[in-house]
Amino acid sequence: MRQNPSVGPESPDLLTGSGAATKGRGMSGKRSELLQTLKNNLSFGSLAAFSLLFLLVLWALLPARFTGVDPVTQHARLVLAPPLTGGHPLGCDFLGRDLWSRLVSGSLVSLTVGLSVGILSTVLGCIWGIVSGFMGRPWDPVMMRTLEIWYALPEILIATILLLVLGHGMMAVIVALSIGGWMGVARVLRSETLRLKDAMFMDAARASGVPPLRLVVRHFLPNVMPVILVMFLFRIPGGILGESTLSFLGLGLAPPVASWGVLVNEGWKALPVSAFMLIWPAIFIVLSLVSFQILADRISRNIGSSR
Amino acid sequence: MKRLSNRLLASVVLLWAVFSLTFLLTRFAPGNPFSAGRHLPPDVMKNLLETYHLDRPIWEQYLFTLRQALEGNFGTSYKAIGLPVSEIVFQTLPVSLTLGSFAFLVSVILGVATGILIAIGPKSGRNLVRHATTLLVGLPSFLLAAVLIDVLAVHGGLFPVALWEGWGSLALPVLALSLAPAGYLARVFSASMEETLDSPFYRTALAKGLSGPRRILFHLILPSLNAVLALLGPLAAAFLTGSFVVETVFAIPGMGRVFVLSVMNRDYPLIMGTTLVYTVFLTVAILLGDFLQEWIDPRVRSL
Repeated sequence: MRQNPSVGPESPDLLTGSGAATKGRGMSGKRSELLQTLKNNLSFGSLAAFSLLFLLVLWALLPARFTGVDPVTQHARLVLAPPLTGGHPLGCDFLGRDLWSRLVSGSLVSLTVGLSVGILSTVLGCIWGIVSGFMGRPWDPVMMRTLEIWYALPEILIATILLLVLGHGMMAVIVALSIGGWMGVARVLRSETLRLKDAMFMDAARASGVPPLRLVVRHFLPNVMPVILVMFLFRIPGGILGESTLSFLGLGLAPPVASWGVLVNEGWKALPVSAFMLIWPAIFIVLSLVSFQILADRISRNIGSSR
Repeated sequence: MKRLSNRLLASVVLLWAVFSLTFLLTRFAPGNPFSAGRHLPPDVMKNLLETYHLDRPIWEQYLFTLRQALEGNFGTSYKAIGLPVSEIVFQTLPVSLTLGSFAFLVSVILGVATGILIAIGPKSGRNLVRHATTLLVGLPSFLLAAVLIDVLAVHGGLFPVALWEGWGSLALPVLALSLAPAGYLARVFSASMEETLDSPFYRTALAKGLSGPRRILFHLILPSLNAVLALLGPLAAAFLTGSFVVETVFAIPGMGRVFVLSVMNRDYPLIMGTTLVYTVFLTVAILLGDFLQEWIDPRVRSL
């Protein structure tokens, strides 16, 4: 649902390619293009989103010890303590655990899951899409049918059933969500492959005897890097949302491990007596999701318009 | 016709694949449905496994379950002892369908209206609405549901807090379920309309001096509506995922809730039944969306 950036099929310079192949030294061409992409994206909204995410990552990397409190230690006297009571800036939850340190460790877990799901599902999708596109018949139709079959099922449904076998650890959630959500990437990458595989610069590379793997890595990939970047950026919030939905339902990560989903789950149960437990993780989820969304939108729009 | 039969064949393959995957994953999950909770004496456990054929070799179980499923029989639930899965599905599916179809209506109307507002509304309001849709898309349904309950039900007292009693209890779940898809729809629709605004035929309509409402309806909105139809499949998927959350939060006796509980309880027959019913619905939604799209815009067919 969320993974649908408007990367249009309009063709760039098919004759030369826009990245490595023309510029002699492949790496410098790629770097300057990425730099250009970044430069195009300096607007207030994206800058705010970026700095917010940067702060969030910094904050998540703060050692939980910073407060001198462990995220799983229960203080019986501080059950549901309001914010700013005795060294607990955000208060305590219904078991008397410090909410600040639980949020710090929870942020680390949620961001790690989001990032890992982003990386893993993008890589999976890229491999599937590129292989399918380059192989052509008879493999391409088979791989595409398989993809369509998988694509019909929503991420959460696939992940939930996979988690039956994988268990409820962080790695399990990452793997389950990645397997549930790589299909959009594969679709886009396949169409990119079909668009570029017979382009002049690819033919030129083939004619000069570049072996297939090198052809893909050095000549094809640099030209689709912006597209991959956008897909990756859309997948990160997808992963964060997936994790928090699963954990909220009690199907993903389970306490005492903290993640935004677990914290919302606990906060939801405690809502009749205390709103703080729900408010803190909610703020983090919404801010991070919206920030990633803004960044990805911005970059995808600029890539679309530069074509 | 050939395309239709091809698609139907693909749907059958999909159902079989989902059946097999679900079967294998549930059977290879560590432990068994009766190992959680209290410890059962060995002979009780043996009897239980025997009753549900869980002691047979895996291929025998597979063939047995497959034959049952082909006859439309998914066995009986492990938790709600003796209750056939089909009966649970028949009781809970109408609830989910009611909720889903209202949410669908609301999100399409809201999404299309907002999309129009973003594309051709007053300049000042446009960006504000656009940002609001970004926020909506980034707002998880469980948080939206929590906010709605707290503000409108607990403190506002306008709607029932939860449960499934009468039309009033429909309002909040439908809202929680439809806002995020509406935001997404609005974004896609407005992007599609902006594309149409740039197209030559729209400029021709402008140049011909067609009157405002007619031009906007026939030359702008209708040609752009195709983007919305293409979303029918993804929308169905979103309502499904949403229903897991919303039915859990609002304690609605629908199939989403049943699915979540069946996974927690490792209720194999119930997991299988609900997953297959979901798959059927998703395939039908996607098929319907594709055919509607082709019927309205024959250009899609050549793609």
